[in-house]
Amino acid sequence: MVKRTMQEATFLILTALAAGSRHGYGIIADVARISDGRVQLRAGTLYSALDRLRIDGLVEVDREEIVESRLRRYYRLTPEGTRQLAAEATRLQSDAATAFARLGLAGETPR
Amino acid sequence: MTDTANLERSYRRWLRWYPTWFRREHEAEILGVLMAGAREGQRRPEPMECLDLVSSALRMRLGSRVPRSERSVCTAIKLMYLGAVVELATAITIVATLGDVRSSVIQRHAGYTEVQWHAEMVGTLEPLVVAARIAVVLWLWMAWANGRGHRWARVVFALFFGLNLYGLFNGLAKGSAVYARTDLAMAIVLCLVQLAAVTLVFSGDVRKIAVFRSGVGRISSR
Repeated sequence: MVKRTMQEATFLILTALAAGSRHGYGIIADVARISDGRVQLRAGTLYSALDRLRIDGLVEVDREEIVESRLRRYYRLTPEGTRQLAAEATRLQSDAATAFARLGLAGETPR
Repeated sequence: MTDTANLERSYRRWLRWYPTWFRREHEAEILGVLMAGAREGQRRPEPMECLDLVSSALRMRLGSRVPRSERSVCTAIKLMYLGAVVELATAITIVATLGDVRSSVIQRHAGYTEVQWHAEMVGTLEPLVVAARIAVVLWLWMAWANGRGHRWARVVFALFFGLNLYGLFNGLAKGSAVYARTDLAMAIVLCLVQLAAVTLVFSGDVRKIAVFRSGVGRISSR
């Protein structure tokens, strides 16, 4: 059976959380930063993704804060989330290395 | 009323698309994110924001809440969707093969009249098409309910299987194998799909799914 690959938005959300726990808007801002502004998550999409990641046991709620009378809930990676993110990063790295090698760009950064 | 208050009120209206349990646990949080991302002086949500909220809310209402690690239940749910497709194909087949059934009946029973055929249509074939349509809805409902982790859904699905099996044997006893081989083949395929789905859905750990049935948001301590 072919193993399902992770969607880019999911990968970027997990990558944002790999640096430590983040609240919803913090994740959106970090994902935009990681992807150089290419991926702009909207609130609905983010919470659908977080809900799915929690169901699958990849993220969990870390803590809650009230800032300027608004609730902020912080999320963090679970050990399973860390493992799956590492596995996906390795897979992407290996695919990218193969692509660079075949393009004759090994060791270079493509423009 | 200020622009900010107007905007917040609008966002709250759009958030009503979400299920109650989600709003109870996340409305304040998601509202904070929406307000933090709003432009200076923005008075109402942008169309793309509204579309995103509505599509996410529908996903939240209709989507499966089974963890991907529960492979047997995930496969059972896929089989239930497959069952709905096969059932729909059965309904279409019944309608499309009416002519063949009629010729077959006339061939085997000399002197079969239009009136008798009409009575057969009203008494047997039309209820079959209606039953197939109801069955499509039942398959979809079962896929949704089992995906939400409702314990009763497994039992209802098993009863649904029993009913289909009874229908199959009843059809065989009444000689449908002679008149409508394609329909019979479809009924056998459906029963096999259902048997596989029943086995898989009962082998899953329903407790894991039930945990995620209604929200959650508990803070975990490591």
